[in-house]
Amino acid sequence: MSVRHATVKQLGRRAGLVPVAAALALVLASCGGSSVSGGGGGGGEDGGGATEGGGDVGPVKIGLLVPLSGVYAPLGEDMEQGFELYLEQNEGALGGAEVDLVTVDEGEGPDTGVPAATRLVTQEQVSAVVGIVNSATALGAKDTFVESKVPLVVANAGANDVTADASPYIWRSSFTNGGVAAALGAHVAEQVGDGSVYLISADYAAGAESTAGFRETFEAAGGTVAGEAATPFGTTTDWQPFLNGIRESGASAVYTFYAGAEAVGFVTQYNQFGLAGEIPLYGAGFLTEGGVLEAQGEAALGVQTSLHYSDTIDSDRNREFVEAYQAAYDEVPTVYAVQAYDAAAALDAAIETAGATDSESIAQALSEVGEIDSPRGPFTFDENHDPEQPYYLREVQESEGGFSNAVLSELDQ
Amino acid sequence: MLGWLDANTATLLNGLALASVLFVIAVGLSLVFGTMDVLNLAHGAVSLVGAYVGVGLLGVQGSIGLFVAAVLLAAAIGLVLGTVLAAMTTSVTGHLRQALLTLGVALIVAELVTEVFGNDVQRVRAPIGLDGSVSVLGNPYPVYRLVMVAVGIVVAVGLYVVLERTRLGATVRATVADRDMVEAVGIRTTFVLGGVFAGGAALAAVGGLLAAPVLGAQPGLEDTILLLALVVVVIGGLGSLRGALLGAVLVGQVQVLGVALLPEIASFLLFGAMGLVLLLRPAGLLPAVGAK
Repeated sequence: MSVRHATVKQLGRRAGLVPVAAALALVLASCGGSSVSGGGGGGGEDGGGATEGGGDVGPVKIGLLVPLSGVYAPLGEDMEQGFELYLEQNEGALGGAEVDLVTVDEGEGPDTGVPAATRLVTQEQVSAVVGIVNSATALGAKDTFVESKVPLVVANAGANDVTADASPYIWRSSFTNGGVAAALGAHVAEQVGDGSVYLISADYAAGAESTAGFRETFEAAGGTVAGEAATPFGTTTDWQPFLNGIRESGASAVYTFYAGAEAVGFVTQYNQFGLAGEIPLYGAGFLTEGGVLEAQGEAALGVQTSLHYSDTIDSDRNREFVEAYQAAYDEVPTVYAVQAYDAAAALDAAIETAGATDSESIAQALSEVGEIDSPRGPFTFDENHDPEQPYYLREVQESEGGFSNAVLSELDQ
Repeated sequence: MLGWLDANTATLLNGLALASVLFVIAVGLSLVFGTMDVLNLAHGAVSLVGAYVGVGLLGVQGSIGLFVAAVLLAAAIGLVLGTVLAAMTTSVTGHLRQALLTLGVALIVAELVTEVFGNDVQRVRAPIGLDGSVSVLGNPYPVYRLVMVAVGIVVAVGLYVVLERTRLGATVRATVADRDMVEAVGIRTTFVLGGVFAGGAALAAVGGLLAAPVLGAQPGLEDTILLLALVVVVIGGLGSLRGALLGAVLVGQVQVLGVALLPEIASFLLFGAMGLVLLLRPAGLLPAVGAK
């Protein structure tokens, strides 16, 4: 229960070590366990209501596996909204096949997410699954999809390993941790010139992959690293000692990977301890994405991040998407919503191409979908089935009614 | 030595700021265990409620007056929660059953808070006027954390005066030491115990609110707080004000100095220190005299 390799939105919780809490730990563990069945049962949207679809192909049953409970619930909500918006815009059909959508709770970690994935594949017998926020869940559920030959379109989890062996059944409409970070390396190297950069991230898989990705392109572009720190994941609430270390290293910029509560804590304290005005802060986009940015407020002003989406991207496709999303949900779309939206677009194209709704045909057709016209800009799937996509340099700026990640430029890769 | 102090002043101050809120939160847990022999695992949840009082009232940055109002509201809610918890636990004997009952309450409270405020991380802002930085030995240091240290000292001194210098305090201490004897001289210990429970919970809620500008407010915070408070109580010893104070200062300093000086093993230092105390002084460093 102590270490989870999740990509975004992590909140540290419990580590029952106190003697008096020995019983408590047991109780907590069993409570966590019971939510597996409890939370998972909630799903089933529009269950058996599907009628015979229009067009040549019959209805298609799609599983949406997103967190509806636990710390990732806000991401799950965004993803659900993104996916449903695509369906609404296409009259409830993908590739001409009416969609019977089954939504299941991923929960926080693999203990809930993997059984939920298995349920979708074996009991619900869906033709394809979209979702998965947590990288550990994606890694744990992967084999289920490969073995039962059901395509999975990962709509968030960013661990490099999820797509490392390029199975025909595993696709990803989101990002790799390394990829998001690598996009920023050359730009930061150019900005700091002769100076050096300090790397600080949460001490878990996503943080390590992110700093490694940044370091590679940063050093290739001639940058030097002043120092590196990995903060205990999920238990760090006070960054002052680390911030002291950054100051003493004499670094002229900082690269960081944090998400969720840790992103709020780090960015706020970076500002409180006076580093914000002196040492520019760069990071992977999750540092300032969605609800996190609201909590950081003006403390995040001027933070520059790389990400494959921002609601301020200046294109007709994006404006149209943002407007539709705002009309439907009365909030600006996050990267999580876009990832699920694009997963729906990929399935739409695949079913269209295949002219069939069985999982085998959809998986095969996914390799033929070509370019997807996404709000983030057009992208294709690469040989690992990860998106080959543009990355944007974003800066937190004040906007009407709050703060937003304004796009400064597209990053060269 | 001077150079070391210069480099680590901010860190030491930070340890004190953390110690202050830990003390304010843990002292209630310690006294409740000391007086009522009740293991209250809902203590962290009470602090969580305090933190969300801050979210509700101070979502937009407020004045110092509003912050004080939030503190008073948190204290009032804490009092009510403490009274309810005291009433619930008086008839339940045995630590395991108390733990299960209060843990259940904690889960319900945390879930209710999530229902109302959502799963997102919320930030509570330090009040206007206390949100800036001052220079401490040449490095900027947030004013609010200095205020936290000051509040911790005020609460510690206040509690010391009440517990050690007043008749009320003498009654509480006597109840910790020998409940039957206090009953024998004609004092209803149930009321004493309920009062301590309510007061402790009020402090826990205030502590949660004070900590919120630093720790934030999010689901799961209650577990972090409960865990640290339990460590403070185990290190300091049950049922004693001085123990809670010493425990809080030790935990605060180990947490921040450990990270600053020995980052590789920082995660283990806290529990290493607790293990050491348990090995050498199983009752804690400064347990209440005569506590059961």
